[in-house]
Amino acid sequence: MSGGGDDQEQKAPPSASTSSSSAFVAEGVAEQRATPEMKRSAVRSLIHRYFHQLQTGCGNAHCTNANCASSGKVAQMTPNEVAARALQLFSQDAQLCEISTQSSSATSTSSSSSEPTNSPQQQDVDMLSPNDSSNSSSSSSSKSTTSSRSSTTTITSASSNSIQSQRALPQLTAASTTAGAVGAAVSAAQPSSSSSTETPTLAPVESLDAQVLETLYKKGLDADNYDRVHQAISDTFSSIERLSKSFIKPIEEQKQVPPPIPAESATSASKELQKLLAKSPVALNKEQLRTLEGEHDKDEDSTQQQEEQVQEQEQQLEQTEINTETTTEEPQRTEDNLDEDEPMLKQDDETSTEGEEDAQAGAGAGQQQPKPSETAISGDTQVDFEGLRRVQRLLFSAPCRSLAEELTISVMKLADCMRYMRHYAPDWEQVLHCLVICFDMATNTKNGVTDMEYLDRVLPKLCHAAAVLPVGSQARLARIWATHCADQLKALVSACQQQITLQVLLDEEAVRENEHIISVTKVLKIVFYANILASELEIPSCRLPLELDELELAVGQEQSAAGVSSSSSLAAMAAIEDDFFIYSSHVTPHMPKFAEDQLEKALQVSCIDCRNPLVPLEEFYNDALSDGIQMHQDYLSYKTLAMESELGTTHSNYFSFMLYAFILTPATKVDALYYDSRMRMYSERYSSLYSIFHNLNHDGDQDVAPPRPDLKLNVRRDQLINDALVGLELVAMSNPKDLKKQLVVEFVGEQGIDEGGVSKEFFQLIVEEIFNPAFGMFVQQEETNNMWFNATPFENGAQFTLIGIIIGLAIYNNVILAVNFPMVVYRKLMGYRGTFYDLSDWSPMLYKSLKSMLDYQGQDMEEVFDQTFRISYSNVFGEMVEHDLVPNGKDLTVGQHNKKLFVNLYADFLLNTNIKQQFNSFRKGFEMVTDESPLKLLFRPEEIEMLVCGSQEFDFVELEQSTEYEGGYTKETQIVQDFWSIVHGMPNESKRKLLEFTTGSARVPVGGLKCLRLLITRHGPDSDRLPTSHTCFNVLLLPEYSSKEKLEERLLKAINYSKGFGML
Amino acid sequence: MTAPRRLRKELSDLQDSTIKSFRDIKADDDNLLRWTGLIVPDNPPYNKGAFRIEINFPAEYPFKPPKINFKTKIYHPNIDEKGQVCLPIISTENWKPATRTDQVVQALIALINDPEPEHPLRAELAEEFLKDKKKFMKNAEDYTRKHCEKRPAD
Repeated sequence: MSGGGDDQEQKAPPSASTSSSSAFVAEGVAEQRATPEMKRSAVRSLIHRYFHQLQTGCGNAHCTNANCASSGKVAQMTPNEVAARALQLFSQDAQLCEISTQSSSATSTSSSSSEPTNSPQQQDVDMLSPNDSSNSSSSSSSKSTTSSRSSTTTITSASSNSIQSQRALPQLTAASTTAGAVGAAVSAAQPSSSSSTETPTLAPVESLDAQVLETLYKKGLDADNYDRVHQAISDTFSSIERLSKSFIKPIEEQKQVPPPIPAESATSASKELQKLLAKSPVALNKEQLRTLEGEHDKDEDSTQQQEEQVQEQEQQLEQTEINTETTTEEPQRTEDNLDEDEPMLKQDDETSTEGEEDAQAGAGAGQQQPKPSETAISGDTQVDFEGLRRVQRLLFSAPCRSLAEELTISVMKLADCMRYMRHYAPDWEQVLHCLVICFDMATNTKNGVTDMEYLDRVLPKLCHAAAVLPVGSQARLARIWATHCADQLKALVSACQQQITLQVLLDEEAVRENEHIISVTKVLKIVFYANILASELEIPSCRLPLELDELELAVGQEQSAAGVSSSSSLAAMAAIEDDFFIYSSHVTPHMPKFAEDQLEKALQVSCIDCRNPLVPLEEFYNDALSDGIQMHQDYLSYKTLAMESELGTTHSNYFSFMLYAFILTPATKVDALYYDSRMRMYSERYSSLYSIFHNLNHDGDQDVAPPRPDLKLNVRRDQLINDALVGLELVAMSNPKDLKKQLVVEFVGEQGIDEGGVSKEFFQLIVEEIFNPAFGMFVQQEETNNMWFNATPFENGAQFTLIGIIIGLAIYNNVILAVNFPMVVYRKLMGYRGTFYDLSDWSPMLYKSLKSMLDYQGQDMEEVFDQTFRISYSNVFGEMVEHDLVPNGKDLTVGQHNKKLFVNLYADFLLNTNIKQQFNSFRKGFEMVTDESPLKLLFRPEEIEMLVCGSQEFDFVELEQSTEYEGGYTKETQIVQDFWSIVHGMPNESKRKLLEFTTGSARVPVGGLKCLRLLITRHGPDSDRLPTSHTCFNVLLLPEYSSKEKLEERLLKAINYSKGFGML
Repeated sequence: MTAPRRLRKELSDLQDSTIKSFRDIKADDDNLLRWTGLIVPDNPPYNKGAFRIEINFPAEYPFKPPKINFKTKIYHPNIDEKGQVCLPIISTENWKPATRTDQVVQALIALINDPEPEHPLRAELAEEFLKDKKKFMKNAEDYTRKHCEKRPAD
């Protein structure tokens, strides 16, 4: 914005403060809007002119217009009446006075400021004139009233509530009386005399943008007087309406951005319409007013008084606007009611009716807004982040601390308003705009300036505000953050975590009821999804149904890859889609309806869709909260919610962190799962006890064996698997519900009551046997030590089902198993299909190779790789088996055009198709035990793994005992002893790295670390070389360093930077 | 017996080639995934003989690397007593499916001719190689004479 620097006259008197120009850059934006918008604003401005004409007159002392205050013929009216009348005049196309130099428009005050006046406020306005931007824009405002007015009058923020009018009304009335009585030219420009604080002609800052603020600031800097900046900030940042018009992206930039949503709501015109249709956030201003009044009472100094003036102007203007607004909104309706004497009442009516409509229409802001579910949620926003960040740097690093302070206070007020807004069905897009700005101010760390004060005081309030947003708007917020603020998510997370932790420490007693914690948690969920959206997503390949046939997949993928749409492939696609729905209905029933994450549903992503989240999901754990939460209490809330949803009542305000599982540490979630299992066990137990009792009472009918209160397994040690499988099979076939009873194991011929210890031993023994490759159900993968389903098993599906039951029982009975499944097993257990990415854990070698194939860009791919769609693998007997990924795959060569398809099909074959039968049986068994538990709600696949296997503890003492030495080292060598003493003192993570460094796999082989047979070899005398390793043979090459310190330093360096370096 | 198309092609390409230092290449009759061949090094101390090697291809070839094993004993810092060799080009970290077997063999020959004591499999040989080259050369030559196969006539 630069409008020729006519730096004429007027040095600002330092005393003058408050108030500033109304017309700002936003108008420039408005000017270029599309035609319908122009029309609307033209209508608005016309009505506005009528209004002002009625209220203050045209300024012409000899005016004859009966509808002009200057003529003295206008009766005394309340502002609402004035508004109604203005509308009437508009509809009648009544005479409109020429706008004289003494324009009555409050918005063009700055242009009329040349008029001589003694009021300090007037000088104040003058002071703004030299300002380039305000000058040029104010001139534009006087020239093209249409556009300028649109900025002043758009969108209601106001205020027709009684409290406000109590304050505003008398003054306004007085003003109009004065105007009417005097009818002088001065009346327009001069403050009405009835109140010394009253300055009707001075509009508050209507909107800001970065450049304006920067200019203001610079001026302030020059004059060493920041009052104007202060005022601009407090005006803009404390009002939703104004802030939502501020920091709008410059128009050119906006044009580059493709329209956010293809649907009708996408166009800026319809957005504007939404804004127009927005309801008046009545209570907001009530709230605002109270805050302001409170301050006024406390402090009576001059600044406060000046602030007061601004407020009153605001109120007045808002008052005005609300009326105009109402009328513009629904002209017909208002016209019908025009003759009514109580516009106030009428408006209340309207608000409430609309509120109802809103409630019916969902979370929308008006009839025109499509429901959130109908449109894809866009991540577009008008916020000018670049400018905003400049401003942030400016304000927070300014030598004048009070600016940041001002901002903080204003935003706090604003946040309070927003929080209570939900009762008044506001325009959520506006609120969203404000929230995006305010959050960005808090968490943008790129500038290197964060204002802790601002953060600490504002963030909790912002979170309150964001937490009450309707789901659709929360989803929008998540999208906006993901699209525009991805780099700040980390800061946002840690800021939120700090808030929560702080609150937990402050309020240890009632952590679960602390509303601060709850609302920050809700915001954290938005951040959580923003984080996922900002990361690379894998949708939809992993969402495809597990049951899908490989061939269908091939067809589907090929089709999507080639973009061909023959009718047959379309049919196949339809079949896939059909299948998918059946599948998802099959998956979801176990997730109770109330526990469904609405946000997840709206955004259609879940944490499973992204493999490398931008901010690691572990950062969302809050330890303090998880420790202080008292899980049994939270579980009760969860149960209450569950009960309520069953009964169809949702009146209570229970909050359960279990629905915000991302914030809970796995240990705490294990607690939750434990309570759940126990609850179910007890309830199963009591129901069976009851039926025993019941049977006894009736008749001692011996034919029917009474149900046992527990799940009893009698097993012989030498027939462990057989006995267990037969026993479980019996239960699974006759009464699967019994699987949810408490497990009690008894070894035949042994005394000992199972209080948990015996079943632990049972699980340990049975897992050892089942996963023994000799048993033939699972194979151990050489490369990773992982267990995988034997693709050519000798056992039937039932066996796998039973094993699934056992894994489920282990979780259910809180027993940790020593199983090494690759992660994809747990993902598949959660219902997701294994994809190419899962190979990275399943077979890192294969993954790397396929990846390098994908990365190969040469056009000679066919010759270089000479790979067909026929792949081969070795079966459990070590024989090579071939498989065609597509029919006649041996004749189809992999090239640039189909390499992706090849890789996906390859992965899909290995991870899904090849073991489909086995896995489905396995999963069925798992589901039999866990189908009702909140397992899926609480845990991500990687957490389930931890649940099943426990955190990996490495027994390095065992490793030391089995290690051999070469090249001159022995057990006794000093450096070897130093090595072990260093290693034993390492944290688990470093041990894992060391293991990976020397063996290439962080997994413990079945049988423990002693089976690794590590070899430590002397690698020359002391040198600066790093230790190296031969992962193929588990050899660690260790130079004989001169000191223990050096050894430790070198060793740590080697294991921490080992990736792709130092290994042979 | 089947084998991936590429492997069959690589085999015939290698058999047709005229590399002097790698010859006598054969695949097992019952297993095309196992090849044998004769390494004929040029540099002392190994140029006194020839070394029989075995190359084992995994079923997933070329997405998993082949393994190389020395059937003839060799006195070499990078090859252990069991005949295992740690060749960077076929290590899990470095393997690329675009790598062809002739490249692997070239790398192997280069390693035989010029040992890399920095990454030894037999640390004591590596130390000897670095500290007392003469002794190493002598030992290696003696060892080669004792164990190696006959070099082809041409």
